[in-house]
Amino acid sequence: MCGIVGYVGDKEAQEILIDSLKRLEYRGYDSSGIALLSESGISLKKAVGEIAVLESIMDRMPGKIGIAHTRWATHGKPSVENAHPFVDCTNSIAVVHNGIITNYMSLKESLAREGHKFRSETDSEILAHLIESAEGGSLVEKVRNALKSVQGSYAIAVVGRGYDEIIVSRNESPLVIGLGHDENFVASDVTALLRYTNEVVYLQDLEVARITRAGIEIMTLDGKKVQREPQKVSWSVEAAERGGYPHFMLKEIFEQPQAIHDSLLGRLGGTEDEIDLPPGRFTSVKILGCGTSYHAGLVGKYIIEEFSRIPTMAQISSEYRYSPVTESSPLVVCITQSGETADTLAAAREARRRGCKTVAITNVVGSAITREVDSVIYTRAGPEIGVAATKTFVTQLIALYLLGLRLGRTQGSLSSEQHREILSSMRSLPRIVQRVLNSADSLHDLARKYRNAHSMFFIGRHINYPTSLEGALKTKEISYIHGEGYPAGELKHGPLALLCKDTPVVAICVRDHTYEKMLANVREVAARDAPVIAIGTEGDRELDKFAEDVFLVPDIEPLFTPIPIIVSLQLFAYYLALERGCPIDKPRNIAKTVTVE
Amino acid sequence: MRNYEDPKYRFKMERVENLKAVILAAGEGKRLRPFTYSEPKVMIPVANRSIMDYVVRALVENRITDIVMVVGYRKERIMSYFGDGSDFGARISYVHQEKQLGNGHALYVAKEHIDGDFLVLPGDSLTDSRAISDLLSVGAGHGALVIEGTMPAKYGVAVLERNRISDIRDQHAEGATNIILTGAYKLPKSVMDTVEMFVDEGNHVLSQAIRAHLPKMQLQPVFCQGLWIDAVYPWDLLEVNHAALTHAPVKTAGKIEEGVLIQGKVSIGEGSIIRSGTTLHGPIAIGSGCDIGPNVSIFPSSSIGDNVTIEPFTFIRNSLIMSDCSIGPHSFISQSVLGYGVQIKSHLMASSADAYVNLEEEFFKVPNIGVLMGEDCTVGSGVTIEPGTIIGPRCRIASGARVSRNLPTGAIHS
Repeated sequence: MCGIVGYVGDKEAQEILIDSLKRLEYRGYDSSGIALLSESGISLKKAVGEIAVLESIMDRMPGKIGIAHTRWATHGKPSVENAHPFVDCTNSIAVVHNGIITNYMSLKESLAREGHKFRSETDSEILAHLIESAEGGSLVEKVRNALKSVQGSYAIAVVGRGYDEIIVSRNESPLVIGLGHDENFVASDVTALLRYTNEVVYLQDLEVARITRAGIEIMTLDGKKVQREPQKVSWSVEAAERGGYPHFMLKEIFEQPQAIHDSLLGRLGGTEDEIDLPPGRFTSVKILGCGTSYHAGLVGKYIIEEFSRIPTMAQISSEYRYSPVTESSPLVVCITQSGETADTLAAAREARRRGCKTVAITNVVGSAITREVDSVIYTRAGPEIGVAATKTFVTQLIALYLLGLRLGRTQGSLSSEQHREILSSMRSLPRIVQRVLNSADSLHDLARKYRNAHSMFFIGRHINYPTSLEGALKTKEISYIHGEGYPAGELKHGPLALLCKDTPVVAICVRDHTYEKMLANVREVAARDAPVIAIGTEGDRELDKFAEDVFLVPDIEPLFTPIPIIVSLQLFAYYLALERGCPIDKPRNIAKTVTVE
Repeated sequence: MRNYEDPKYRFKMERVENLKAVILAAGEGKRLRPFTYSEPKVMIPVANRSIMDYVVRALVENRITDIVMVVGYRKERIMSYFGDGSDFGARISYVHQEKQLGNGHALYVAKEHIDGDFLVLPGDSLTDSRAISDLLSVGAGHGALVIEGTMPAKYGVAVLERNRISDIRDQHAEGATNIILTGAYKLPKSVMDTVEMFVDEGNHVLSQAIRAHLPKMQLQPVFCQGLWIDAVYPWDLLEVNHAALTHAPVKTAGKIEEGVLIQGKVSIGEGSIIRSGTTLHGPIAIGSGCDIGPNVSIFPSSSIGDNVTIEPFTFIRNSLIMSDCSIGPHSFISQSVLGYGVQIKSHLMASSADAYVNLEEEFFKVPNIGVLMGEDCTVGSGVTIEPGTIIGPRCRIASGARVSRNLPTGAIHS
C-alpha cells in the first residue's frame, strides 16, 4: 500500500516529488518522507500524517535529483523514525522501499556485527546499510551486489552522494519508469507519473535500472544488459485508479468480501486473538461515533448486549460531552474510519478525562484517535475513496462482533457451543456478502423502478433498526432522495401520516423474534397504498403476499443479518443515484473526513 | 564513466508500437457448470489463483504488460481481482461485451484498443510464460499457437501447407488434422476488418473470420512447448489444478503447530493455522485464514482456498476445495471439487471410482472421479455421495442421505 516516487532532471525536484506523492495519496498514507540530492549531499525530511504535513515543514530544499515515499502502515506504528527514506551510517546513501524483506533479521544481525547503527525497527532500513557495505565501484554495482543477498519482495529507489542518478530495482512489487525530455521519473504506480509523461517503461522482477537525466539503462541483477521498449499510456488518471469500475463506490462495494476476510484474518484463531482490550471488568459500554460510524455503534449495542449481556448504549460523539458523568465508568468505544474525526477525537479525550477506559475502532493505523485511547481495533478495509462509507462500515461491524465476542468470553456469558456457532457464522460472512453481490442486477432493476421517488422510508426493528438508518443515509447522501430511517414500531406515532402511493417504504424483515411485528407493519404500510420493498432472508414465502417487491439475502443467524442487508441497501442506493445521474463519488457538500467540530 | 549524453545510450524515444494482448474473458464457460454460477470460468481458482491469473503472469513475464480484457458475465469478479493491473506489473483496461455472442464479437468490441499487431488469447486456459514466448517466436510475423493431439478442439484444427496454416476446419469435418488450435494468436491489425465484416453478417465465431483472412496473411503454426491446458469438462479441473500446483511457487506463512508433518511442495497462506497431528503431502496449496486440524490428512494434488475450516480426522486427496468451505470431522473426500462456501457437517463419504458422469443428459466415462459440488451447498452428517455425481449450487442434503444421482440448483435432498 506504500508509494514510491523519484525524479532526476533539470528542474527542482522537490515540487515534482511532492505533487507525485499526492497523486498516490488516494491509496492512503500515514507518514511520508523525501530525500533530495544536491552538491552539498543528501537532505532528508520526514513527517507523520498527510503529505500536506510534509509539505508544510519543508523549506525550499535544493536538488534536481530526489526520491520520496508515502507509507500506509498495516502493521507497525507510523512514526518519523519508521518513515522512509532511510540513510546509511554516513548519510551518503538514501533508500525508499516497498515490500517485505523476509530474511532481514539475519541480514540485520550480520550488519550490526560489522558495526552498522540502525535508527528504525523496519526491514527497509537494512537496505541502506547493505548497499553501504556492498562491494562495487559504482552505485549501481553496489545495489546489484547488495540485492543478491536479499530475499523477499521489493521495489526500491536509491540515491547516493556523488552520483547523478537514481538506481531502482524490483521483485514482486510494482515499479515503473517514466521517460521525459531531459528528465526521467520513477514511481510505484503509473498514476503518479501521468501528469508529467505518458511514455513509460515497466521494470521486471530482478532487474535493476540506472536512471539519469539523459536516459535509462536496464540490466539484470547479474549485470546483463536488457533492451526494453517504452510504452505509451493512454489512460486518464481517474480510470487508472478505479480499475474498470465506473465509480469508486461500486468498486468498494464489490471489495467487501475481501475486506471482511482481511478483517477476520488471524482473529478467529481461538487462543491468542488480536483483539486487545484494556484490563478490567466493565459494568457498561458506551459507543461513540458520527454519521455512519454512529450507525455502526447502534448495531454494536445489540451485538455487545447479546454476546456479553453488558448494558450498552450508542451516542453521537458531539453529544457525549454534554452528557453528565455517571456513577460507574463505562468502557468507551470510539468509532472513526479516518481516526481524525474532530468530534470523536474530542469525545475520546473527554472520556479519558472522566477516567473511562477507551477503545478505538479505526481504519487508519496510527491516526490521531490511536494516540487518545487505551487500545485500538483496526478495520482492515484498505483506503476508501468514495465519500459514502461502504466497506469501512461493514468492517466496523466486524470489529464490533469481534469486540462483543471478546467481552462475552471475558464475562463468561457465552458457552463454548455458542462461541463456536458465532465463529462459524462469522466465517461464512464473506461468502454471504458475495452472494448478495451476485444479485446486484435485481437491485438495479428495483432502483430503475423507484428512481423517481422524492422521499423514501426505511423501517426495521431490533438490530436492523440501525441498518434502516444506514440504508436511509446512503440513499440521501448519494441519490439525494430524502430517505428517513425509523424503528418500525414508531411508524404509527407520526410518519404514517406522510405515506402515500409515491413514498416507497423499504422494510427489513428478518425471521427473528420481531418478524411477526414486522409483517404487521408491512400490512399497515400496504394499507396506505405505499409500495413496500421488503428485504428478507432466503426461504421466506410470506413477504410476497404483502410487499410490492421483495429482495432476499442469504439466510444467516439473525444477529448477523445487518451485514448482507446493508450491502443490498448500498447497492440499491448506488443504482438509484446512477439512474438519477448523481455525482456518486463526490456528493455535494460532503467531505470524506470531517476534521472540524 | 560512460557518457550517457551520447545518443547511443539514450533510450529510443520514437513511438514504438508495443504489442498489446487482448484476453477474451466475457463468456460464462457453461460446460464448467456448476462452477460458473457466481464467476466466469476464467476466474475458477486452481492452486488458489484464478486460471486467468496464470495467463496474465505469463504475458507479463514476456514483457507484454498492456492488456485489454474483454469482460461480460460476472465482470465485477474479474475487475475486483485484477484491478488496474498494477499488482501484476501490467496495465489492464476493460472492455465490456454486453451480450456474449461469441469470441469473434468479443474481439470486435475491443477494436478501439487495437493499433497494430496484437495477441489474442482465451482467458480460460492454464498457460505459462514458455507458451507465450513460443507464440512470440514468430517475431515480426504472425502465428497461431497449436498443440498436437486428439482432445476436444473448440477453436478448430489447422491444415498446414509448408510453414503456414492454409485452412481451419472443424475437428470432426473431413480432412481434419490433429493440429489443434489453442485460440491464442498473434495477428495483424488488418484482421479486424474481416472480423468486423463477419460480425456485421451475424457470424461471431473468431476462427471463421481468421480462416477467411488466411489468404491475406502468413499465419504460421507455432507448436506449444510450454504449458497449455484447457478444462473442457468440470472433472478436468482436477488435472488443471494439478498442473497449476506443480507450476506455482511455494510460499509459507501462517502458524504451523508442533507435530504437523509436511512433505513436498506445500504453500500456506497468511493467518492460517495448521493444527497438531496434521499431515500435508504436497503439492498442496492452502489459502489464507484457514483453520485445519488437528489430525487432518491432505494428499496430493490438492488446493484449499481462503477461509476454509477442516475439522479433525478428515481425509482429502487430489481435490479442489474453494474458499469459505467448512468441512466437518471424519470426512473422506477423494478426486472431488467443492465450490465456494460448501458447508459439510461431518462424516461425508465422497469416494472416487471410475464412473459414468451425466453432464446435461450426456454420459461420459470418467476414470477415478469423486464428487463435483457447486457453491453454497449444505451437507448434513453422515452423507454418502456416489462417485461421479454432480451437485448443483445451493443444494441442501439432509443428514444420513445417500445421493446417487445429480442434483439441480437449489435442490433439497433428504
